Amino acid sequence: MAASLPTSEPLHTVQLDGLVVLKIIKHCRESYPNDVTGQLLGLDETGTLEVTNCFPFPSDCDENASAQYQLDMMRCLRAVNVDNNTVGWYRSAHLGNFVDSNLIDTQYSYQKSLSAHSAVIIHDVSKSAAQGNLSLRAFRLTDAFMKQYSKKFTTESLAKAKLSFSTIFEELPIQVHNSHLVTLMLHNIEMPKLDASRLKSPATFSQHTELDDAKSLSPNFDVLDLELDPFMQKNLEYLLDCSDVQQQELNNYQYWQRSVAREQTKMQAWLTKRRQENQIRAEKGQQPLPEDEVNTLFKLPPEPSRLDNMILTAQMHNFTKQLNQFAGPSLARLYSIQELQK
Amino acid sequence: MANDSTLFVSVGNSATAPHQRPFSCTISPVVLFGVLDHYLRHDDKQDKVIGALLGVRSPDGTEVEIRNSFSVIYTEDAQISLDKEHYTNMHDLHQRVNPEEQILGWYTTGPNLTPSSAPLHTVFSQDTGHFRPIHVTFDTEQLLKSDDMGIQAYTSAPVGFSTKPGDCLYLPVPCEIKYVDAERSGLDMLASAKSSETRSASLLSDMDHLEVAIGKLQEMLQRISEYVDSVVAGNEKPNNAIGRYIMDTVSVVPKVDSASFEKMFNSHLQDLLMVVYLANMTRTQLSVAERLNLLVSN
Repeated sequence: MAASLPTSEPLHTVQLDGLVVLKIIKHCRESYPNDVTGQLLGLDETGTLEVTNCFPFPSDCDENASAQYQLDMMRCLRAVNVDNNTVGWYRSAHLGNFVDSNLIDTQYSYQKSLSAHSAVIIHDVSKSAAQGNLSLRAFRLTDAFMKQYSKKFTTESLAKAKLSFSTIFEELPIQVHNSHLVTLMLHNIEMPKLDASRLKSPATFSQHTELDDAKSLSPNFDVLDLELDPFMQKNLEYLLDCSDVQQQELNNYQYWQRSVAREQTKMQAWLTKRRQENQIRAEKGQQPLPEDEVNTLFKLPPEPSRLDNMILTAQMHNFTKQLNQFAGPSLARLYSIQELQK
Repeated sequence: MANDSTLFVSVGNSATAPHQRPFSCTISPVVLFGVLDHYLRHDDKQDKVIGALLGVRSPDGTEVEIRNSFSVIYTEDAQISLDKEHYTNMHDLHQRVNPEEQILGWYTTGPNLTPSSAPLHTVFSQDTGHFRPIHVTFDTEQLLKSDDMGIQAYTSAPVGFSTKPGDCLYLPVPCEIKYVDAERSGLDMLASAKSSETRSASLLSDMDHLEVAIGKLQEMLQRISEYVDSVVAGNEKPNNAIGRYIMDTVSVVPKVDSASFEKMFNSHLQDLLMVVYLANMTRTQLSVAERLNLLVSN
């Protein structure tokens, strides 16, 4: 793996090759409903991360085996002139439930060990299938978060660093890029091959096979489907689960706060007693007893890490944003149907 | 898009029993992209590339679906010989990720079948089990010069008295490109890049995607209505088949009683708006909590 070179320009877009997009889709779709991961290979140009190839990881292997797999695969690919440079990884998700500690850990190790320019690409399988619109997003951890990750996550350190759930990730715009040959091929696929004079009248409505053969890249009208319920239902379920877990975390935090308060009152009481004793002893002319034993006698419980909390809030934020984004086109569809009926 | 080649069936010979020969094959777009990418990266010394095809076949061997591919390296002295180690390595690695994809055959990007492909065919037929391997050629010259895709698929039938699988007659097999819904959206997006200058396109948000689809639908309706107008005005010769198709399409729009439609519409609308309201409330809650957390100083 390359050592991290000083980066000249901050990363601002991710450019994928057509092949990479299709391979990611294929791998994620085939392993539904499991979540799968894979590696991205490519180049790191000035400000743009170009991904030219990718390969999937087998889902059932542990640390050493997967490292070995990676090495073998890279070696084989290098023999056929594929870019040998790892620039990130990808992961499949369902309806946006990808923000969890696993993601953050892995992305942190990638950004630490490879370079500050590695990104994770999330492909959302169910959203792509539901709406006919490809859902592919690229993220990386912000620098502020990276710095904070090695230290502890207490409330005041977060407040000082001005970190909150929305500043964990930064999203990068994705562009898709095709080579010339591929562009040619895409043009060729679309060529309609139907001759109007040779059409036969369809006897029944279902006999449209000849037309179906002729057009393979005809426009995709799945997006005009009216069915809302499955998508919204699933989304709401996830949101509810998330808020349940969030509630538990908050309870934990409050419990900690209460225990800290109790400890503090105990400490205060002990201190006042000590002071009184010292006063009495000073009147009698004896040595005052030390007051800083208080710190060794009473231990404040450590603050639980706020990282999980932040992750959960980021996830919930994601779900609500999705619902919003989904609602927009749905309203448009509803109103257009209304117009059509008039 | 179906390739226009016909299937020749040879009769009689028991070694070419139909259960061993694929009759039709479908290719997934990933394979196409992979092959073209491999071709782009090839060494200048060799002007064609060779690789293996992976996929699944139906239980009786007549339907074959090509889903994945990887490239192999070869050296060309008097004969073409493969780098066996690389080939077995790649095969194992792919097998670990996807155990159900088996080797179905091999591809090359040279224009046509050459005599040198015989020994390679032998090599690959060892891995395909009882079935005959499929050989697919991608003609990049044809891609440049004509409208056609330039893909030809062949399977083999033994010819002559030798039992080596390499000495065979190549039978063309019809092959077509098939994709699933999820791949379709990806392919659409890639196809939208083909008309731009830099051959790149950015991902659309859901709203933009809807707008594009509605725009296309409107354009299609416009074309149809212009056609119908010109036929009615007598400018164009009417084509019965097209007229029938149009009639079928238009009759699909359901005619719902307006009162019940109003009711359905309103209830749908209310559900949607309520969900949006709840989502927004949660969002504001989260934002407020975020601000409060930032303000806390211990």
